[in-house]
Amino acid sequence: MNNDIAAQHPDAQGQLMAHAVDACVHCGFCLPACPTYTLLGDEMDSPRGRIVLMKSVLEGELPLLDAAPHLDRCLGCLGCVTACPSGVPYGELISGFRGWAEPQRRRPVIQRLTRSAVLTMLPRPALFRAGATVGKYAKPLAPLLPQALRAPLDLLPSAVQPAQPLPAFTPAHGPKRGRVAFLEGCAQQVLTPNFNAATVRVLSRNGIEVVVPPGQGCCGAAAMHTGARPLALQQARRNLDAFDPAGVDAILSNAAGCGAGLKEYPMLLAGEPEEGQARRLASKVQDISVYLAELSAAGGLEPFMPTTRPLRVAYHDACHLAHAQGVKAEPRALIRSIPGVELLDIPEGDLCCGSAGTYNIEQPDLAGRLGDRKARNVLSVRPDIVVSGNVGCHTQLQSHLTRLGSPVRVMHTIELLDLAYRGEL
Amino acid sequence: MTVSGPARPGAPDRAGLARDLTRLLGDGKVLSTLGERLNYRYDAIQFGATPLAVVLPESTADVVAAVRAARQAGVPIVGRGAASGLSGGAAPAQEGLVISFTRMTRLHIDPLRREARAQPGVVTLQVSEAARPHGLVYPPDPASFRTSTIGGNLGENAGGPMCFKYGVSGDYVKALEFVDADGEVHRLTRDAYDLAGLLIGSEGTLGLVTEATLRLTTPARYTRTLMSHFAEVGQAAEAVSAAIAGGAVPSKLEFMDRACVNAVEDYLQIGLPREAGAVLVVDTDGDDLETVEHELELVEQACMRACGTVRRAADEADSAALWRARRSVSPALGRIRPQRMNEDIVVPRSVLPDVVREIERLGQASGLHMVQFGHIGDGNLHPNILFDPRQDSPEAVHQLAHEVARVAIRYGGVLSGEHGIGSMKVAFMQEAVDPTTLAALWDVKRALDPGMALNPGKVLPQPEASDA
Repeated sequence: MNNDIAAQHPDAQGQLMAHAVDACVHCGFCLPACPTYTLLGDEMDSPRGRIVLMKSVLEGELPLLDAAPHLDRCLGCLGCVTACPSGVPYGELISGFRGWAEPQRRRPVIQRLTRSAVLTMLPRPALFRAGATVGKYAKPLAPLLPQALRAPLDLLPSAVQPAQPLPAFTPAHGPKRGRVAFLEGCAQQVLTPNFNAATVRVLSRNGIEVVVPPGQGCCGAAAMHTGARPLALQQARRNLDAFDPAGVDAILSNAAGCGAGLKEYPMLLAGEPEEGQARRLASKVQDISVYLAELSAAGGLEPFMPTTRPLRVAYHDACHLAHAQGVKAEPRALIRSIPGVELLDIPEGDLCCGSAGTYNIEQPDLAGRLGDRKARNVLSVRPDIVVSGNVGCHTQLQSHLTRLGSPVRVMHTIELLDLAYRGEL
Repeated sequence: MTVSGPARPGAPDRAGLARDLTRLLGDGKVLSTLGERLNYRYDAIQFGATPLAVVLPESTADVVAAVRAARQAGVPIVGRGAASGLSGGAAPAQEGLVISFTRMTRLHIDPLRREARAQPGVVTLQVSEAARPHGLVYPPDPASFRTSTIGGNLGENAGGPMCFKYGVSGDYVKALEFVDADGEVHRLTRDAYDLAGLLIGSEGTLGLVTEATLRLTTPARYTRTLMSHFAEVGQAAEAVSAAIAGGAVPSKLEFMDRACVNAVEDYLQIGLPREAGAVLVVDTDGDDLETVEHELELVEQACMRACGTVRRAADEADSAALWRARRSVSPALGRIRPQRMNEDIVVPRSVLPDVVREIERLGQASGLHMVQFGHIGDGNLHPNILFDPRQDSPEAVHQLAHEVARVAIRYGGVLSGEHGIGSMKVAFMQEAVDPTTLAALWDVKRALDPGMALNPGKVLPQPEASDA
C-alpha cells in the first residue's frame, strides 16, 4: 500500500510505521484471523482496515478522532501477523501509532484516571497487592459504580494470595546444565504467585541455575501497547540495566505478554542510543516452554510421574506466545510428554480470549464476548484441565469458565509440569 | 420484474442518503463518517472512490431498503463481500452506496437434500466446515476461501484448484435469491431461462445476490498428490497437455513459475526447489484407489517425459504442505513489489506451452517483474505484473497487461477464468468481444439495470459508437 508517512514522520518510529504500511497488499487474508472483525463484521475493525485508517491519519487525510474508536478496539493479539503472507509487521505499526497518537488524545477524566491507575499499579506488585485488597472490599459496591470503574474492579481477584518472593539465586539440583536469568512479571506476582515458584522448581530440578536480577521491573509491554511510550522507554531502560545477557544462556519469561514485551525492545528503542543493547537482550529472551523443550531435545528432562488417572488437557494458545513469539509446538510437546495426559486443541484456537493486557478494562463489552466464546470453545472439547502460558489468559479463562459454572481447572503450563513432577496430577 | 427508466434525473441527493438509510435501517447498520467510508473503497487489488455511505445489511429486507434509498438519491450501488477480489470488482468506480454483506452470515445445511442455504456473507470455507459432519463438502475452493464470501464468489464465478475436475462456483448453484436495481426480490432456479446463470459472474452489475442454495457433494475417498519441477516453463505446460490427453482427470493441477516458487519459499521456508523454472502440483482423487493411483501414474509419466523431476507426497501432511505453498502464492507476491496487475486468462490446453513461453518472453522484454501461476489444467493462467508505482510507469504496466490479454485472444482464449473483468480488464474487452456480442451484453445490462445503477464502470466497456 503506497504511503508517504516517512516524509511526514522522518524519525525511526515513522520509518517503522511507513514500512509496515508499505508491506500491506490489502489481500484480506487477515480478516478471519481478527477477533474484532469476527465479532463486528466491519472493515474498520479489521487489520487491513486499521492499516488504512492509520495511514490516512499519519498522512493527514483523516482526523485522529475519527480513527481512534476503531484503533482502540484492536486487542493487539497479532493473530493477523500469523495469518499475513506478506509479512506485514502490524505490531510495529499499531504500537508505534499508539505511541505517536496518545499525547494528542483528550480522554475523558474517568478514562484518564483509570489508565494512569492501571499503568501505575500494574508494574508495582506491592501497590497492586494493596489495591487488590482494597478492591476486594469495594467489589460489593460495583453495581453502583460507572462502567469505567466497574471493569477494573471485576478483574481483581476475590482472594489475594500471600506473596511468594523468589530468591535472587537458586542453585541447580544435581549436575549443572545451564544458567538463566528470570523475569518475574508484575501482575502475576500478585494474581498467580505459584507460576514463578513452579518455574524455579522445574528449572532447578533439571539442573538449571536461576538468577533473578534484583533491579528488574515491569517489561513495559502494557505501557507500550497503550501508547504510553515515555513510560515504556523508562521501564525498558531499567531492565536493560538489570539484565546482563552475556552472563546467561537465556533470559526467561513465563508470561507470554512479558516475553513478547522484552522481544519488542529493539522496536521500542529503535533510533535510541540503547538500540544495540536492546537487540542483544532481545536475542536472549525465551519463553519458559521453549527453553524446556530445547533442554528436552538436548539430553532430555527429568522424567515425569504418570498421572493417577487419564487426564484430558486442553492447551490454549496465548496470543503473545502463538502470534507474537511464534511459539506453538513447544508447550504442546511438553504437555504431551507427561504420561497419562491426552492433549486437546481448542476450536478457534487462534482467536484471542479477549484478555489482552488492559483490554478488559478499556473494552469490557468486546472482551466479555470474546471471553465467553473462548470459554465455550474450551468446554466443547470436555477437558479436565485447560492450560495456557500467560497470566492474562489465565485470569480470563478462569473468570469466564466460573461464570459458566464449569469446574475445569485452569493452569499455567509450568504448573502442570511442576505437579507432574510432584505426582500430584 | 419492474423495468423502469433511469433513476430520478437531476442532482443526486447525497447529503440525504446517509440520513435516509439511518432512518430506515437504524444506526448500527449505516456507516457515514469519513473514517468508516474510507475503508470501503478497495478490494485486494485496487483503491477506488470513497463511497458516500456504507450499509451493513442483516437481512434481505435491509438490502431492499438500501437499494431503494440509493435509487431515491440517484447514486450507484456497489455490492461487496470480503473484498478479496483481484479485478477491482468491489472497488467503487464512482461515489455511491456500498452494500457490504459481511453480516449476512446465516447458513443452513440440509443433509438429506445435499444442500446448503447460505446468505452472501458466509465465508466460503465455512460451508465445507458446516457440511463436513454430514459427510458432505462444497468443492469450489478459491485460494482465498478462508476469507472470501459466497456472495463474492458468485459475483466473480470464482474457481480454484478443484475447478478442473469439479467445476466453478456457478456449477454448484441450485437457486438464487436476488434484489434487483429497483429493490424487488426475486427467487430463481436454473430452469426456463437460466437467469441465475446470468447473475453468476456478473460482478454485481445485474443484481445483488441475497441468498444462494448450493449443491453439496460427498468427498472423494482417496486423494494422491505429487509435485514435479521442470527446468523451463514450457516443459511444465507440455506435461499438462500430455497428461490430460493421456486420459488423466486430476482433481487439481496447478502451476507456479520460478518467481512464485521463490516468493512462497521466502514466506514459508518448506524446501521448495528454488532453481526450478516451473513447478506443478497435482492431485488425483476418487473412490477407487486403483484408479486414483493409475491417474497419478499417468501424470507422473507425462511429467518425466517432459524432463520433470517428480516427488510424490509421502502422506497427508506432506501433501498439505505442498498445497499450502500453492495457496500462498497470491499474497506472498506482495513481498516482491507492493502492487500488482493480475491477469486471469484462459487458453486451450493444446497451446499452453506456446502461451506460457510467449508470456515469459514478453515479461523479460518489458523490464518489469512478471510472474505466472494458475490452474493450468483448465488452461487458466494468472500472469501477474508486480510493480512499485514509485519506480515503474503505470502506462508500461498497463501496456504489458494489454499485451498478455492479446496473447490470450490470439490463441483463442478469453480474458477471465475466475477473477472477473472488474475495472482492471474492462478496456481489453473491446478487443476480446466482437461488437455484436458486446451489444447483446449491453442489452442484457439495460434490461436488468436500466438506470445503470449497479456497479457502474465494471465488466462492460463503453461502446465506441454513440448508441450506448
